[in-house]
Amino acid sequence: MRFAAHTTTLAATLTLALGGCSAIPSDTTQQAGQLHGVWVVFLSAAAVVYALVAGLIMWSVLAYRRRDPATVQAAKFHQNVPLELAWTVIPVLVVAGLFAVTYAGERHVDSVVTPPGETVQVVGFRWSWRFLYPREHIAIDGTSDRPPELVLPANRTTEIRLSSSDVIHAFWVPAFLFKRDAIPGIVNVFDYTPLKEGVYPGRCAEYCGTFHAHMSFTVRVVSPEAFARWARERGAPA
Amino acid sequence: MSAITAPPRELAKEGLVAWLVTTDHKKIGILYMLTSLAFFLIAGFLADVIRLQLAAPQQTIVGPHEFNQVFTLHGTAMIFLFVAPFGFGLANYLIPLQIGAPEMAFPRLNAYSFWLFLIGGLTVFSGIVTQGGAADAGWTAFAPLSDVRVSSGAGQDLWILGLTLTSISGIMTAINFLVTPIVFRAPGMGMWRLPIFTWEMIATALLILMAFPPLATAFAMLLLDRHAGARFFDPGGGGDPVLYQHVFWFFGHPEVYVMILPFFGVITEVVSVFSRKPVFGYTGLVLSAFGIAGLSMGVWAHHMFTTGAVANPFFSALSFLIAVPTGIKFFNWIATMWRGAISYETPMLFAIGFMLNFLIGGITGVMVASPPLDYHVEDSYFLVAHFHYTLGGGSMFAIFAALYFWFPKIWGVKLGEGLGRLHFALMFVGFNLAFFPMFFLGIMGMPRRVYTYPAQAGWGQLNLASSVGVALITIGTAVLVWNVIVSMRKKVPLPDDPWGAANSLEWATSSPPPEFNFRALPPIRSKRPAFDLHHPEFAKDSPK
Repeated sequence: MRFAAHTTTLAATLTLALGGCSAIPSDTTQQAGQLHGVWVVFLSAAAVVYALVAGLIMWSVLAYRRRDPATVQAAKFHQNVPLELAWTVIPVLVVAGLFAVTYAGERHVDSVVTPPGETVQVVGFRWSWRFLYPREHIAIDGTSDRPPELVLPANRTTEIRLSSSDVIHAFWVPAFLFKRDAIPGIVNVFDYTPLKEGVYPGRCAEYCGTFHAHMSFTVRVVSPEAFARWARERGAPA
Repeated sequence: MSAITAPPRELAKEGLVAWLVTTDHKKIGILYMLTSLAFFLIAGFLADVIRLQLAAPQQTIVGPHEFNQVFTLHGTAMIFLFVAPFGFGLANYLIPLQIGAPEMAFPRLNAYSFWLFLIGGLTVFSGIVTQGGAADAGWTAFAPLSDVRVSSGAGQDLWILGLTLTSISGIMTAINFLVTPIVFRAPGMGMWRLPIFTWEMIATALLILMAFPPLATAFAMLLLDRHAGARFFDPGGGGDPVLYQHVFWFFGHPEVYVMILPFFGVITEVVSVFSRKPVFGYTGLVLSAFGIAGLSMGVWAHHMFTTGAVANPFFSALSFLIAVPTGIKFFNWIATMWRGAISYETPMLFAIGFMLNFLIGGITGVMVASPPLDYHVEDSYFLVAHFHYTLGGGSMFAIFAALYFWFPKIWGVKLGEGLGRLHFALMFVGFNLAFFPMFFLGIMGMPRRVYTYPAQAGWGQLNLASSVGVALITIGTAVLVWNVIVSMRKKVPLPDDPWGAANSLEWATSSPPPEFNFRALPPIRSKRPAFDLHHPEFAKDSPK
């Protein structure tokens, strides 16, 4: 039972690693493409390390079962300095490699294009969101019953200026593989370059009280032409 | 070594009064462990409520008000009142025995710390009966959510006060864990002969002394904000909500290792005894404990990658490095089993389960330590899965290993093997069924701390699987309770070492040990004095 469950876990991990890479989107935004690359490296490394270490554990457990119940001492070796140095140094090299991948990925994702194609101010409040398009004079206010929709043009970079008017929230679009905290007193700036038109669910990820579960929104990515049309129709005259 | 002074006079030897006034480290250890297990049962019941509510989309078994109190108390109790205090109880019981001492260095302080812990825990839960209910700001109580304008109820105040008491209690008990093995060791028991469990407790004590005062500070600032208009965390008054997270996680991340280092010690002892081999890589195990403790003081802001307010690469790099000393422990356990003669009694089964589960917790820990990945999974169910694999699949499994392993020493009774195996099977299958699906849920976009989710999100099946897993864990826990009841009824006298090849000194005295622990101490000439005493023919092979 133990072994079967373990094998299931192992199989599931490999599934997560291999299937996970395809389940994690890479083409929704330009940034998600970068993030997807980091995911692939880490999931592959995770699968290899898990298979290696779990394999060693299960091999030891099963291969060295006690055959003579009277045994009080099996082998007596209890140290091996070269071996111990090896399993110290090799993991250092592995995590150094993972850090390099992390650093490169983060630098790309955290960099912000100036000047942005569009700017949207996003304000979280208990328990919905307000989207302000300063250039187009559009304000969209949601409620927890009627989640607001953030409209973004495809293939253009939109800068999000994120804040909160009460407690801390987090602005999360799972399909974009990205979230950032909305903190009162701070404006967090990041950008999206959506590549694929569609409607994507978004949620508050930072627990913010009673109706945190209902603090959702949607993101609709449309063509630049459709965006301009939408902005003209929605926008108030300057 | 200084002379050991007479312990404080006992007011009573037997009965309830003896337990209320005791300064005996073994009784205090038992009180700690029993209290923490009682909180485990309560927190486990709260987990059942959570999983019932989330078993299917849009359920109304509990509403948001109740659910938010339930998950807040579940987390608070598991972390502050179960996992860490169980380690304290075990250490209280074991450290004097393992070093050949009759008592802790400061017995009265020890008693005081236990009672403060109990009162603190009850204070947290007393919020249930106040108007507005218990605290519901999560176990992290981030400002400004925990500010009085948002969380106005007395429940939040009681939560802060109760946990301040437990943090003071932890500081006092850490002083005992640090001082006792340094000054109370028996003749022959050099520092480099201390059992790994005692070493891990020394590292834990150092962590507590560095990390718990900041926790008390964070709570004091929170209370001042709430009731004295201090505005430390209020941006409207020049304060900063991110400051709370810095102070809280400066405690919170070391706390993670306060909840795991003792159990690395447990696993090391158990694996060695059931593999019939000395601990492999003793020096590496000791150094890695301090390596983990040291690094863990510099990684707090990896909980804050998505705030946009910290130097992510620095905290990411240090967090990655923790994988190295943790890996050393894994390789040492494997090398201890290698060419061993392994038997599969319940403590060993739980130790194997610990290794397989904690491995997943550790690997996913490296993943969430990478900011680009954390940007997606922070505050999602992926994170919930990750930390349950470390704390539940890790620490909790090690707690059960410890329970089965030292139960005969503490009560003079071995727990039933058949029921023990059943307990393990239910726990291992139940745990993985409950928590593995959460990795997928997180990647799919399910945030943590939601009391419900829409049907169209497509999370129903995985959540149902998770709830079935928790049901199995609950049945497993009932099997454990049943096992204890059944086993306690049939007492048969046990030898000093009921496992046949145990190493450390607690196995060289009667089960249970007499008052002040030893009628006579055996000679201590190696790292495994009890083994040398019982198996002198192999004593020449014992690591010195």
